Formats: sequence, C-alpha cells, structure tokens
Amino acid sequence: MRVILDVKPRKNPFLPVEAECLVPKNFVDEREPRDLSVWVGNKERRLEEVVTLTREGTATSPEDVELVLRGDTSRFKRVGEYMEAGRITIEGDIGMHCGNLMKGGMIVIHGNADSWLAREMVGGTVRCNGDAHHYCASGYRGEKRGMRGGEVEVMGNAGDFTAEYLTGGSVTIHGNSGDLTGVEMAGGTLIVHGDCSRVCANMTGGTGYVYGMVHHMIPTFRFRETAIIGPEKVKMSVFEGDIANRGKGTLFIKVYKYPL
Amino acid sequence: MSELLIRHACVVDPVNRISGEIMDLAVRDGRIVESVSDRAEVIDAQGFLTMAGGIDSHTHICGTKVNFGRYMSPEDMRAGRTLKKGQMHSTSGYSVPTTYGNSYRYATMGYTAVLEGAMAPLEARHTHEEFMATPLQDTMANVLFDGNWPVMEAVRDRDVKRVAAIVAWVLTAVKGFAIKITNPGGTEAWGWGKNVTCIRDPVPYFEVTPAEIIETLIRANEILRLPHSVHLHCNNLGTPGNYSCTIGSMDVAPDLNKERQSLYVTHVQFHSYGGTSWKDINSKAHVVADAVNRKPHIVIDMGQMMFGKTTTMTADGPMEFNLYKLHHNKWSNHDVELETGSGIIPVYYSRKSIVNSVMWAIGLELALLIKNPEQCLLATDNPNGSPFVKYPEIIALLMSNPYRQAEIATLPPETESRISLPAIDRELDWNEIAMMTRAGQGRALGLRKLGRGHLGLGAIADIAIYPLSIGAIDPSKEYTRVIEALRLTRYTIKNGKVIARDGEILSNRNKTTIWVRPKIPEQHRMDHDPDFIRNFERYYTVRMSNYPVQEAYVPESTCIETEAVW
Repeated sequence: MRVILDVKPRKNPFLPVEAECLVPKNFVDEREPRDLSVWVGNKERRLEEVVTLTREGTATSPEDVELVLRGDTSRFKRVGEYMEAGRITIEGDIGMHCGNLMKGGMIVIHGNADSWLAREMVGGTVRCNGDAHHYCASGYRGEKRGMRGGEVEVMGNAGDFTAEYLTGGSVTIHGNSGDLTGVEMAGGTLIVHGDCSRVCANMTGGTGYVYGMVHHMIPTFRFRETAIIGPEKVKMSVFEGDIANRGKGTLFIKVYKYPL
Repeated sequence: MSELLIRHACVVDPVNRISGEIMDLAVRDGRIVESVSDRAEVIDAQGFLTMAGGIDSHTHICGTKVNFGRYMSPEDMRAGRTLKKGQMHSTSGYSVPTTYGNSYRYATMGYTAVLEGAMAPLEARHTHEEFMATPLQDTMANVLFDGNWPVMEAVRDRDVKRVAAIVAWVLTAVKGFAIKITNPGGTEAWGWGKNVTCIRDPVPYFEVTPAEIIETLIRANEILRLPHSVHLHCNNLGTPGNYSCTIGSMDVAPDLNKERQSLYVTHVQFHSYGGTSWKDINSKAHVVADAVNRKPHIVIDMGQMMFGKTTTMTADGPMEFNLYKLHHNKWSNHDVELETGSGIIPVYYSRKSIVNSVMWAIGLELALLIKNPEQCLLATDNPNGSPFVKYPEIIALLMSNPYRQAEIATLPPETESRISLPAIDRELDWNEIAMMTRAGQGRALGLRKLGRGHLGLGAIADIAIYPLSIGAIDPSKEYTRVIEALRLTRYTIKNGKVIARDGEILSNRNKTTIWVRPKIPEQHRMDHDPDFIRNFERYYTVRMSNYPVQEAYVPESTCIETEAVW
C-alpha cells in the first residue's frame, strides 16, 4: 500500500512540525483510521490539516506500507522515529531527527536531510540522495552510544560530527564529511569516500575508511602498515588507535596531513 | 482570613509528644491554632496518618550542577515524563528531573521544605532562578565555603572573627542559608590536580589543613548565631577505609550550641567504608554510629544508597574524577574561581555488585545503630544515593526487619560477612520515622522554633496526610502497604492550603525562600575592608558590586536576621 502525504502550503513554512506519528505502522488499517496529530509550532493540529492523504491499495502489516512525503517537508521533524518496518520515501528535503532510534524498514530521502539523520539508529536502512547536515548517524548530545546497527548511506556530503559514538552498523558517506567525523567511535564501520578532518578522534573500536584526504589527522594514532584495499586496489595507510584513549580501532586512510 | 479544620487526624508529632492520637487540627492563616469558627473548610482525615510536612535537609534539586546533570543525561530526561494536566506543568527526568518535576514529586510525598545541599556563591543566581521555578516547597541553600580563598587566608591567620565577617558578607550577598563545606581543601587542591587525603593534609599554597577550616568555620558559625550548624561533607568520600577520617572530622567539632548540633555531617553512608580497596570494602557503620552516639552535638544524615540508576553530583571534584576512572562513562568537571568546583557522573548501582550491596547496607546500619533518631536524618543525598522518590522504600526498610532480610537474600552471598545489617533486628516506629523525616530536620536546621517540623500551636500549617491507618497495620509485615501509602499523600497542606490531593497538584505557587542575614558590627563588615575589596577586584572575574544577588531573584522570601555575638 502506498500512502501519499502531500504537504499543504503553509502560511509560515518555517514553523517546525513535530511529525513523529509518520511511521508506517500508524497507516496499516484504514478502516480504523487513527487520530493522528502533529504539533505545528506550539499548536496541536490534526494530520489532515497539514497534509493531504491519498491511499493506494490496502495493507495488513506495516511491512506492506510505503509512506510518500511530497512537498515542502524541510521542517518536518522526527519522521520515522522508532520505525520498525515498512518504507518511507521523502521526495524533497527532510527536517531534523529523521529516522531517530529506528529499528527496521527503510527510509529514502531524495533531497537533503537536516541534522541528526538516523540518530541512535538500531536497525534498518536510511539512504539520503542529497546532503546530510551535522550529526548524521550519531548519538544525541550527552548520549554515550550512537548508532548501534543498520545502514546509513549518504550520496552527497555530510556535516560535522558524522557517526559520532558509532557503536554498530555501517555508515557510508560518498561525498565529503565534516570535522570530527567518527569521533568517539566504538564499533561498526565508517566509510568516507571524500575528504574529512580530525577523523575518528578518541575512537575505541570499529573500523574507519577514508578514501579522500584527512585534514588535521589526529597524532595519537599508531601507524601499522600500508595495505592494498578492495577491488580497486587502493593503497592505504593503516592506523591503530586512538592510543590516547587506549583505543583498539582500525583506521584506513588514503591521504592524510597532520596539523601544523 | 482563611480557616481549615482537619478532622479525625491520626497525628504523629514527636516534638509535642503526640503519638498516633486521633484528634482535630485547626488552622488559621497558615498557622496551627486552638480552634476555628464554623465557617472553616473541613477536611476529613479518616483516621489516617498525619504528620508535619516533610523537610529534606540535604538534596540537590536546583543550581548549575543539577542543570548540567540534566543536559548531560538525555536518557534520564526521556524517563519519567508526565504530560501537562490542568495547572500542572509537564515534567520529565528521573534522577535529575525538571524543577517542576522535583516540586510535584516532593509535594505528593508530603514534603514542604527542602535544603539545596550545595550552592556555589558565584552561581547563586542560577540556584535562585530554579528556586523560583520550584513552586511548592520552601527552599533554602547551603553556601559552599570549602575552598573560599579569603576564608582560607583568614583561617591561616587564625582570625575567627574575620572568617565570620566574610561568611556574613557572602551569605547576605548570595541569599544563602548555611555554611556548607565539601571536601574541605580538597576541591581547592583539585584545582592543582591534587587532593587531600584527610583532615591533616595542608592545602596547596594556603597551608591550612581541612581540620582548621572545619573548626574555624564552626566557631564562626556560632559567632554569627546562624540557625543551622556547619554542614560538612567530609574528605575522602567513597574511599575504602575512609571511616577513620570521618570520625576524625567529627572529633574536630567543638560543642558550642545548646539548642542544636554544632556540626551536621552529611551523607555519612559514603564516609563509613572499611577495608583498603574496592576488593575488601566492608562496613564500618557501627564504629561511626558509636562515635555519633557518644557525641550529642553531631547530627548526620544517612545518605542512603538504593539500587538503580541515578546521577551523582557534588562539589567534590576530585572524587568524581576517581569515579570517572572507574566507569569511563560521561563526566563533567567544573571549577568555580576562588570558591569551589564540582563534578557530575551518571551511575548505576547494581544489586550484583558487592561494593554497591555493602553501600546499601551501611546507610541502613547507620540509621538503625544510632540510638537517637534526631541524630540520624533520612536522606539519600538526592540524587547521589538515589532519587528522593525512593524515600518510602527506605522508611519501609527501617520499619521492617523481614523486608530487610528479604532484600539481603537477593544480594551476593559474599556481602554478608562484610556487613552487620543481618544481625540488627531494630524496627523503627512511626515516632522515630517522623523524627527522621521532619522533626529532626526542623531541629537540625534551627527552624523548630519558627514552627517547622511539628504541629504544635503556632506552628506553620505544613501538614501531610498519608492514606494509612497506622493502628490497623503492622509495618513489619505489611511493608508494601507502607511504601504504597507514603508514596502518595491523601492531602499535602502547605501554609494551610491544600497543594496536593491523591497525587494531583492543586496549587500554582505556595513557597518562600529562607535565607539569613547575620548582623555584625559596622566597622567589621567586609564592604569596608580594603584588603577584601582589593583581592576581590583582583582575583574574581566579576566586580564586587555585581556579585550580590538582587532582591528580584528572591521575590518570595523570608529573611532570618541574626545578631552576631562579637
């Protein structure tokens, strides 16, 4: 079943919308439509006041549901929070906290994602065809464990603190990534195809790959060897660390530059 | 004129020697009176347990470090969420809830006054702002003097009067209630990456010892005739073998006040460890309890630890660093210029851990081995030992030996040889519980004469009615009913107004902030002291004129003026 949610034009398109109700399981049984509501700014609104709902087909379980968000969703926050199954397709940009604590299913974003994409995710797949902003696939402020499982793939660039506190699962950034990418990483796999800086500072476990340039390489990583990696046979330097944190992580880097 | 009549109350009020009598309580304009007119509003207490409003004499609910605990623990903020309902604000958090969360939870447990355990003078405004947002309890704040530079200089010069004058100026400036010393000298040494091991170690640069700081401040406290005594958090918190240091600190205290203790030693559970390392830690509660029994001028609070998740926060920076090295989790460390510091760590106290099990037992042993319940008050050092919402469970543990034995049975078997709790069969009665939760606090804080902690004529009408007929149950066997009843009052009455009924909050605001203004001879006041002013302007990042907290920060306040004996 496809449910198309077309965002109605809003008088103030900058007001944030708390849309944690937009998860597939809330749209399964249309005979018993749930009374879904969202907070727009400080006002609680029925979902139908904010979007036009169109249903195509029927579904018996959340796995069969696909939500399609159309229109200006750049201020819609927490879409797919705690999602367990099904699929969400976002045709434009999406607001902060998309795929928060998600457990399963798939989210595809055709535009850009705001900060905290797939924060503390446990399972499932998130793909962002545009750019992701800061704290993509990270833990929340003050949280000691970030993403624990699942996959995140960003086709464009990602902001600072990408994959902070990464504990499990895999994060792939095809473009560049910002400062402190993979900081405090404890497990899982981080792959950056572009450039980034101060990568994996304070890491204690897991594996990181940077196929671009690392600026401000952290000096407390121990160089182990040079290795040829992958089918493309890329020559990479292999580091262990972060020894400042008695870390046992592994870091593969193509080109790096220490701070002056 | 507002009048209230509480009928058929089963009153437990040890101060006025009332022990479970069914009687009527009359209230006029927020005070207990002999009788009221027929027009008075009537509440039927149905023979339920009625006590004075609870007082927490050591808790951390407001101020910079509590707030830091909030924002470093998003997982804690996700716990304990309640929705906005009627005039109740929404709340969130479990061990470090929002200010309204604290206030509502205290109110539904029958608590009407709380003492914030540690306020850094420089950051007093934040504490007072949060006090304003704690609408249903009377609030007081202990002011930290453990690493205060001018105080330590005066201590070095052995000038008690100068110490008193500085304390008077600071207390008045920051609208504080009492002197708090946290790890005396240790937090200052921590600024240099060091600590002090016990009361005879000199503090770097100042060359004074913690013992001198404690003793001089106790004497200064009595010169100023402050309502409360010095409030001490001993050196070496949470170190195996620290009990001797705790007893040493108690030995330093002179007996100077006839009406109340001369030294209040807080969260003593954390200071009663025997052994030499975490591997052989054992309980020395009996030794500490003996010392307290021999010293009527000392009052302690339990600092009971309860199993579960919580956040520890204290001005004892080096101790929190040691904890951080154990857990390797989050840690916050903070330095407050010339005054003190702090540290914050979230912890989980586990039943499977021998260390935690010993800690749990020590708090209870202290309460059960100290003969006079006025000398051992009930507190968890909220949230360090556990959040205050566990007080009912602690009361049930103190009242029921079978409950304690059942709990001990769930602990690791190795624990038993390290503690003496299994052999203690004392069960406290309701009088003793009232003593440990309100009457004792009233005396210890010097507020009994001002009508707090009891229900005698003229007392402030802070009343808690718990849905429990104490004549009909045996707390020893039916401890679950005790816990149930103490969690939620039928009525909590504050200043003669009902603020909570069956867990529902009925008042927007009903509070005052109590602070003291000691009066000292004009020529000794620090505002005119050239040395003090010069050093202030030289070392502080704020100007002396900007330092005092303005009246606007304490819109609802009660000032206790004291006349110093100079």
